[in-house]
Amino acid sequence: MKVLSIDTAGRYDFVVLMQDARILAETARDSANNSLRDIIILVDGVLRRAGLALRDVDAFAVGIGPGSWTGVRVGLTVGKTFAFSLDKPVCGVSSLDALAYEARGEGGLVCPLVDAGRGNVYAALYRSVNAGLVKERDYSAGPVEVLVRSIAEPVVFIGEAVEEHRDTITELLGPQVRFLGEGHGRGRAVGSLALDRLIRGQGDDSLALSPLYLRDPLARALGAGEMAES
Amino acid sequence: MLVLGIETSCDETSAALVSGGDVLSNIIASQVDLHAKYGGVVPEIAARKHVEAIGYVVEEALDASSKSLSEVEGVAVTSKYGLVGPLVIGVAAAKALAYAFQVPITGIHHIEGHIFAGMLSNPQMPFPHLCLTVSGGHTMLVYVKGPCRYEVLGQTLDDAAGEAFDKIAKFLGLGFPGGPVIDRLARQGDRAAFDFPRPLKGRKNPDFSFSGLKTSVVNRFKGRERSGMPLADIVASFQEAVVDHLVSKTLQAASQRQVAHISVTGGVAINSRLREVFTEECARGRYRVYFTMPSLCGDNAAMIAAAGAARIGLGDVAGMDLNVDPSGQLESL
Ligand SMILES: [Zn+2]
Repeated sequence: MKVLSIDTAGRYDFVVLMQDARILAETARDSANNSLRDIIILVDGVLRRAGLALRDVDAFAVGIGPGSWTGVRVGLTVGKTFAFSLDKPVCGVSSLDALAYEARGEGGLVCPLVDAGRGNVYAALYRSVNAGLVKERDYSAGPVEVLVRSIAEPVVFIGEAVEEHRDTITELLGPQVRFLGEGHGRGRAVGSLALDRLIRGQGDDSLALSPLYLRDPLARALGAGEMAES
Repeated sequence: MLVLGIETSCDETSAALVSGGDVLSNIIASQVDLHAKYGGVVPEIAARKHVEAIGYVVEEALDASSKSLSEVEGVAVTSKYGLVGPLVIGVAAAKALAYAFQVPITGIHHIEGHIFAGMLSNPQMPFPHLCLTVSGGHTMLVYVKGPCRYEVLGQTLDDAAGEAFDKIAKFLGLGFPGGPVIDRLARQGDRAAFDFPRPLKGRKNPDFSFSGLKTSVVNRFKGRERSGMPLADIVASFQEAVVDHLVSKTLQAASQRQVAHISVTGGVAINSRLREVFTEECARGRYRVYFTMPSLCGDNAAMIAAAGAARIGLGDVAGMDLNVDPSGQLESL
């Protein structure tokens, strides 16, 4: 199955074309707010390098966030439009699931962190078991101090928000933490997780597919100690 | 040419199919109820709703016209003028469709869409004509020399006319949007009960202004109990001032430019008193007035598709780098 993945929810725009577990072509680029201008051009480049046309793609995968509100809407709208207009399946994958997937081989707890603005992060907590992942704490948004304080065992952090909060986290949790960087395999992870679900016939409704925001449209600023859960 | 139009510049998600001047379908998903409690459009809420609605609206437009995407020969999308977050959704979907079906795409200025709504409604309307386009988001007077050839003669210096209706309705506790409720209530009121100021009177430029008028209404009734206020008389007098301002500035420009044909379009063009006064005054001054049909007055994608058909026909095709330009100028070809 050939799956085209698009994820524009974060600092980098990812377009990945996979045939089952094999990468046919891929692109990762600093989004710098030009996701809308360039996303189709990135898609076209990836398809050309693989010698394929859009119609040759069997299914689409899209990052549904949480992340940049406008960013996530661009990739998701493009992906779902491809899917419903060409009558192909689509599968939405959360940014947090994709980041955790990248760290699945690390063992123990994995905590993906995505920037939510004004010192807040989007996070969730997973346990890697036999190279698989079990979600232990659901998606939420809030101040990083509140989200990580309750973690009482070795944990791996991954994601674009990790660098900014590295010192705070180390101070709170001590030597039991490790940091895996920004998560540049996120685009591939979106494709792999989507493929798993698509094989089992668990695609999404292409017309209904919507972003995962975790925040009220009017609540740009979360106060200290205030949290939003999925 | 069969053109698919997409419009998401504000709070309506719309898709339409237009062919050779015929509107085959024009589907509009309105969010007005969602924004009503805020007394205006909240851009982030609008953008979220556009993502949810866009696919359904496109499918419905195809179903209603019995067309399939493989028959579509061009895609037109509002890319200029509007709210950035909402505009992004329409442009993303339109680019995906144009790329998937390898057809030309063109980006349309929202106001150009309203100008084409006038032409779609009145195919016999000649060039040049003067177009007053007036809504909750804009108020503009354009000299239309030919298809896609414009000269902007005047525009609002502050609020849009529809915005003034909204603000007065909010102040008087009449709800949102203000236009329809004021139009209805004004029919029971005395238009001459209050002598509100006519903005920019005596000025040569056909520009518009509504904030001073709004302030004078508010200042006059501020602090008064709502139950004791002559609501129908207030809105009738206020509406009369707005209509008088719009009609007199338009006719002033028509006289300066010696244009005999006047197109009235946009959401506020549905106002019954505006239509009445335009009809009377134009008859008196030997002008011919053309009103946009009510179904094409508000924001809709049929007008965008019509403008797109003209632009694509004239060779104005965008690349896949088409971007949004929320404050873009109305440009001629
Ligand atoms: Zn409009």
